[in-house]
Amino acid sequence: MLGRILQRTIILITFVLALILAVMPMSLAIAPWRPEWPLLVLVYWIIALPHRVNIGYAAGVGLAVDVLLGSTLGFHTAAYAIVAYPAARYYSRIRNFSLSQQALLVMVLVFVARAIVYIFEHYLNNAPLMWHYFWPALSSALFWPWVFLMLRKVRRKFLVR
Amino acid sequence: MSTPLFIRTVSLRVRLTLALVLAFLLIFADHRLGAMQQARMFLNSVISPVQYLAVMPEQSLDNLVYRLQSRRSLIAENDRLKRDMLDLQGQLQRFEFLALENDRLRTLLASDERRERLRMVAEVIAVDSDPFTHQVVVNKGTRHGVYIGQPVIDAEGVVGQVVDVGVITARVILLTDQSHAIPTRAQASGIRVIAQGVGETNTLELMHVPHSTELQVGDLLMSSGLGGVFPEGYPVARITAIIRDESLPFAQVRATPVANLDRIRMLLLLWESDSEYQPLNGDATESANASDLPEERR
Repeated sequence: MLGRILQRTIILITFVLALILAVMPMSLAIAPWRPEWPLLVLVYWIIALPHRVNIGYAAGVGLAVDVLLGSTLGFHTAAYAIVAYPAARYYSRIRNFSLSQQALLVMVLVFVARAIVYIFEHYLNNAPLMWHYFWPALSSALFWPWVFLMLRKVRRKFLVR
Repeated sequence: MSTPLFIRTVSLRVRLTLALVLAFLLIFADHRLGAMQQARMFLNSVISPVQYLAVMPEQSLDNLVYRLQSRRSLIAENDRLKRDMLDLQGQLQRFEFLALENDRLRTLLASDERRERLRMVAEVIAVDSDPFTHQVVVNKGTRHGVYIGQPVIDAEGVVGQVVDVGVITARVILLTDQSHAIPTRAQASGIRVIAQGVGETNTLELMHVPHSTELQVGDLLMSSGLGGVFPEGYPVARITAIIRDESLPFAQVRATPVANLDRIRMLLLLWESDSEYQPLNGDATESANASDLPEERR
């Protein structure tokens, strides 16, 4: 029982770290390239523990991102829930991908999530199209192998399952 | 390891549907009804530790740099500050005299006297990484008496207004956000115009300006106080371009905010001294105008 609580705490801590990285001040030159950390961590936990972390967590993390970024509540909630679905549905297949294949998939997922948020922003808040909004899809893919290996290490160390 | 094959009690598709229904309800409530202020306040308060943690490395680095500053640069800075202080005090004497005179004239004209304002310094702790909004988060919240719709200025001019509050944080929407507009009056000609953000840093657009306008490039726009949010008479923006394209119904007028919105650090929150909202728990300072006026006037 205690182990389970500890495991849940470990998962929550990784999410909190991801959220901190998502709003940490960066210089304006590289800020558009900031990887979508919360989504990276979310995808990792979904394919690692699909029965514990899936769409519920996705919606929760999305809501936290909404509050942190000050966007209309529900935009990231919907986007994260939608991209969590294929990850949770095909987790066994994704696990067998090589790291580079997973990175490609992550790029697509981040792109789709951002496209969903952009569509909401465009139709509800008249946001103009900004291509640099989609650059994090590339940087997220670049960072995926490190995120994956690091979180796997954490998961094995604390025997989270 | 005892993970059964079919552990899932609720299918993924049902979960997705539930999450989406929830998300759309949230979007509807927040965007269409604006009914989420209480919930937003709660959520902002819950999430504020993350915000504080996110700026901690930068702040401690700044702190370190400050501590490592050489004696000589500190002395130089101190000298400069003293000179500035003297300069400002000189100006303030004249300002106080003018304020008194102005109040006397206003009573002669039987118009309202200017109300006092209270202000509190707030520090920007986060700038939004979301490119669709121009907002900053400051380190003051309901605990300090911050309220939604509160005007925010900096040393140069108007910055924006508070849109969201948590217990120890508040979110300030900047003038340049595309959903923000501020009523202004040109200082030289007295023409009233509404300056709207367009979602670009350092650009405002003036709405519904006729082609025959007397506005000129370089005109300073002051807040007019007409919207009831911003107090009157604070500098807002300076006109940078007037494009008179006769094929369009109105002239296109662009202006740059006076405040450096892309590198704001310290802000001032303003309170009216007689409104229902008052600053709490902080080092709020009164504005200098007309402190002991009643005796003076009689």
